[in-house]
Amino acid sequence: MMRRGLYFILALLLILVVMLLGLQVGSFDTDAATIFSALFHYNPDDTTHFAILHLRLPRLLLALVVGASLAFCGYLMQAMVNNGLADPYLLGTASGASLGAVVVFFGFVPMTVAGLYLPPVFALAGAFLVTLVVVILGYRKRQIIPAQLLLAGIALSSLVTAMVGLFTFLSDSEGKLRSVVFWSMGSFERASWEMVPYPAAALSIALLLFAFYQKQLNILLLGEERAQALGIQVAQTRWVILGTVSVVTGFAVATSGPIGFVGLIIPHVTRGLLGATGRGNLLLCAFIGGLFMLLCDLLSRIIYPPAGLPIGIITSFFGVPFFVYLLFKKNYNFKE
Amino acid sequence: MPGIYTLRRARFILHTILCLLLLSCSQPERQPQEALVLTDDLGRELTLQKKPERVFAFASSMTEMLYAVLDTSTIIARTPTDDYPEAVYRKPLVSNYPVDYEQVLVLKPDLIFTVEGITPLEVAERLQQLGVPVYYQKYRTVEDIFTGIEDIGRIMGREQQSRQLTDSLRQEVASIKARHQKDEPQRVLAITWSDPIYVYGQNTIFTDKLRILGAENAVQEVFEQPYPALTREYVLKLNPDVLLGGTKEELEERFFSLYPELRRIKAYQHNRLYKPDDNLMSRPSPRVVESLRELEGFLYP
Repeated sequence: MMRRGLYFILALLLILVVMLLGLQVGSFDTDAATIFSALFHYNPDDTTHFAILHLRLPRLLLALVVGASLAFCGYLMQAMVNNGLADPYLLGTASGASLGAVVVFFGFVPMTVAGLYLPPVFALAGAFLVTLVVVILGYRKRQIIPAQLLLAGIALSSLVTAMVGLFTFLSDSEGKLRSVVFWSMGSFERASWEMVPYPAAALSIALLLFAFYQKQLNILLLGEERAQALGIQVAQTRWVILGTVSVVTGFAVATSGPIGFVGLIIPHVTRGLLGATGRGNLLLCAFIGGLFMLLCDLLSRIIYPPAGLPIGIITSFFGVPFFVYLLFKKNYNFKE
Repeated sequence: MPGIYTLRRARFILHTILCLLLLSCSQPERQPQEALVLTDDLGRELTLQKKPERVFAFASSMTEMLYAVLDTSTIIARTPTDDYPEAVYRKPLVSNYPVDYEQVLVLKPDLIFTVEGITPLEVAERLQQLGVPVYYQKYRTVEDIFTGIEDIGRIMGREQQSRQLTDSLRQEVASIKARHQKDEPQRVLAITWSDPIYVYGQNTIFTDKLRILGAENAVQEVFEQPYPALTREYVLKLNPDVLLGGTKEELEERFFSLYPELRRIKAYQHNRLYKPDDNLMSRPSPRVVESLRELEGFLYP
């Protein structure tokens, strides 16, 4: 109990610290005083203030929300299919979103309609569409069969990835290729105040919803039969998880591209800290995911200014060693 | 035993080299068709059996150069991106990306010209193994283009034609330059792509063109890549006077709708958004003077 509270406070504090650090990194020279005056005495004519409030802050918030979303959804997926190798993209969200974005980048539809930049919109549609097909394929006798769902997800992802590959190969311009490569490795560069509310709202609602479902989630880890014997509506719980994961991951991927590894590792980190069935695991998992993404974004911009390394590269670089450490740590167990 | 074998072979090679050295010192004019040794802009050494008579280029800019200098019958192919001059369409097509090795061999070129960055070095090595040398040029300034043209003239035995061309081009550049040396330098940003934002960096010919026009590249920082990726914040800080990359409508649709924050930059506020011809901008070709005139029209309307 004490320990849990401590972790929450620590995570929150670190998020604040990293955000304050992140606010200082950029092309304009800004010190703590400038940050402070931009936040509390905003002057719309000052371009430095403008950059801090309209470019840096939404970017950090998007990183926070997307990191939290992916970690949270990873946790849900691992609980649902009862397997520590699951991640939020198993439903085909990432490949579907890529297909949607690529369709726009390669000019099958215009880039903008009435001032609305379409790649994220199509990415969202693609993510939902592919997820829907995967769910239909994983559906038997009025319920979701996890093993079948996994296979359907993998198969469909491969198919969609092949389609993206075909478009990429047939591309007639280097610029379009760059867009696709850049998109596929993830970025928060497009973040704006207009964009951040969507993934933030999706995540908030999901967190609220699962405040009531945490117990079911833990019992699900015991296996389908025992969960049923304990009075859990397994089928219903799975539907809630599926719906949540597809919407929350969809928004995360559509706004930032398919960023890997966060959804896989952070749930393990959380369980390593609080145990596999700790109360508040989901919330802490989201916090750590957000913190991790903020750190990765900060690093990417410090290592390779000004554009920053693609965020997916950083998450893998720093995530994988940690993951390996976790695998070899003796007292870590997926279910207990 | 492999050790001894290698030693013997090494000794044999050494002998051969020594003999060849002696031969080359004592009888330089003996062979009627002397092998031609060229060193290209990347410092690669190429050996040609004779003066090249069948050539083409993997880069569209060099195809333009070849047409400006050579007897057109010595140009034997075009690539899918070649579109200038019109006459180039009469030549057989060969794919340069990916390289269609078989088609290249069918065409039997004596030499292929290309530009650094257009053709990967391993492709050049492969072609070399197949008996087709590849000659690279690289350019950093407008003057480099002219020396490149003269280079081609020398290799192909067309010194006079290339010299005439570069003399007149140099003269035109000088007269353009003379017109703009007293102007307050405008800071110009040229984007090549909007998502992510890629721009013409400091070490591109574009920077030199602007210098000739009495203006400057808004990107002063030198990046490793000729066309670096920038962030919105970087562009906001650059705050260029002029933005090149599309008509106002095009930029509004592709650039400013994606980055509405950048509507604050001077170029947008003062409506100085222009669309240069893509090929004139990107090709280091003899049409560089045409490119300069186009840019001059934008900078001094």
